[in-house]
Amino acid sequence: MSDLMKTLALSASGMTAQAARLRHVSENIANADTPGFRRKTISFDGVREGFDGPQMVEPGRVRLDRSELTLIHDPGHPLADESGNYLGSNVDLVVEIADARQAQRSYEANLKMFDQARQMTSSLLELLRK
Amino acid sequence: MFDNLEIIRIANGLARHSAARQTAVAENIANVNTPDYKQRDIPSFAALYGQEPDFAMKATHPRHIGANHDFAPPAPRVVRGAAEAPNGNSVSLEREIVKAADVRQHHDMALSIYESALTILRTSLGRR
Repeated sequence: MSDLMKTLALSASGMTAQAARLRHVSENIANADTPGFRRKTISFDGVREGFDGPQMVEPGRVRLDRSELTLIHDPGHPLADESGNYLGSNVDLVVEIADARQAQRSYEANLKMFDQARQMTSSLLELLRK
Repeated sequence: MFDNLEIIRIANGLARHSAARQTAVAENIANVNTPDYKQRDIPSFAALYGQEPDFAMKATHPRHIGANHDFAPPAPRVVRGAAEAPNGNSVSLEREIVKAADVRQHHDMALSIYESALTILRTSLGRR
């Protein structure tokens, strides 16, 4: 029973981490056209309970993607310099969508594990009703 | 009192083993995107206890050899030699889902066996 409770906590930590990741992805997508915006990336850290306990996962520090900002040519833009260029964001929508898809897939897998542990617990408790 | 019945002990052991393995699977799935995480697993119940020969010594007394055989699940161990993603993670989501289905089936089986053993006991007591 306590193992199944641990499973619930583990899956919940996984879902929290994936949701945090999805939040940053949507922030990146929302700011895809913001001049000078650098995409935010997030990494996951494993947090082990005790020496040999299960490893929970939690979202790590948010970092900025240091790659080059795209140079956009638009002389009518208020931020454009003499040559008519301004710096856009370094968000690549394809990368963001792929990242979102992966986060969604992982989230669903965690949810499935959570549901399965819940069902196993309730079928265990069902024995008491006989 | 019913702990001495072998069938109930085994059903109990299988249910506990399934719960422990479910935790290992959930840990792998929670860490599916954690860099440098290596997948962990508990061997299946059959692999742990299925090799015991039928003619093993019977333990009919608490002080006999093997009487403490309580089918306690072992701690999960890191699986070596699994293919790794570029970030050093070795979890395969597909394999974990298959394992989870397997665990589910074994847990249901253990509970059904336990329930049916109890029904037999109840019948022998003359109740329906």
